[in-house]
Amino acid sequence: MKYMLLLNNESRDWDAWRALSPEEAQAAREEEIPKWDGLWAWMEQQGIKADGLELGDPAKARVVRVQNGETLVSDGPFAETKELLGGYFVADCKDLDQAIEFAERVPVASKGSVEIRPLVTH
Amino acid sequence: MKVLALIYGEEGRWDSATEEQRNEMYARYRAFGEEAGEKVLDGAELAATRSATTVRVRDGETQVTDGPFTETKESLGGFYLLDCSDLDEAAKLAAQIPGAATGAVELRAAAQ
Repeated sequence: MKYMLLLNNESRDWDAWRALSPEEAQAAREEEIPKWDGLWAWMEQQGIKADGLELGDPAKARVVRVQNGETLVSDGPFAETKELLGGYFVADCKDLDQAIEFAERVPVASKGSVEIRPLVTH
Repeated sequence: MKVLALIYGEEGRWDSATEEQRNEMYARYRAFGEEAGEKVLDGAELAATRSATTVRVRDGETQVTDGPFTETKESLGGFYLLDCSDLDEAAKLAAQIPGAATGAVELRAAAQ
């Protein structure tokens, strides 16, 4: 069963990261890297393969709507929420329990949240 | 650059759609996929938000709740991962996604 895991960071963390200089941002990112080692080791042990992507600043998002054949493009994220999407995984897990075990090992779960959504198979 | 296109729509409309309406929507998505070709790297339809589970870890304790992390009028129903030269090209492509006409498509560039 495939699941999408949506990694949501707190909006105030995005605000804090935005205030960092490029050097400070790089240092902050390097500090984060070891926190992910537990997840990578667990995935290898469980034989789970996943695709994923880290996303850039939600403030640079665009929202596209087509109404009456006209394309409307607006700046900023789709919704102003307390948490904003920072990345995702698509992982093949045995069941929801294993997807939850995956999610709790994602460092983002400790500060923001990880939303698990099953994929539809046709 | 890689751009994530998040497709939002009103779930109730999809729930109440007839099989014929759903097949028509799937046909439109297939047509978009064929038209976009190699610009689409990945994509999937998500099951309804009632099957969502949200996980948080606080003070070492895992908290699992049913449902999406936030309730919005339009909810995430699927995604494409696009390969575009910039967000302008991604916006042009996103306007062709059937969901842009029935809901909205949010574009998020990959981290640099």
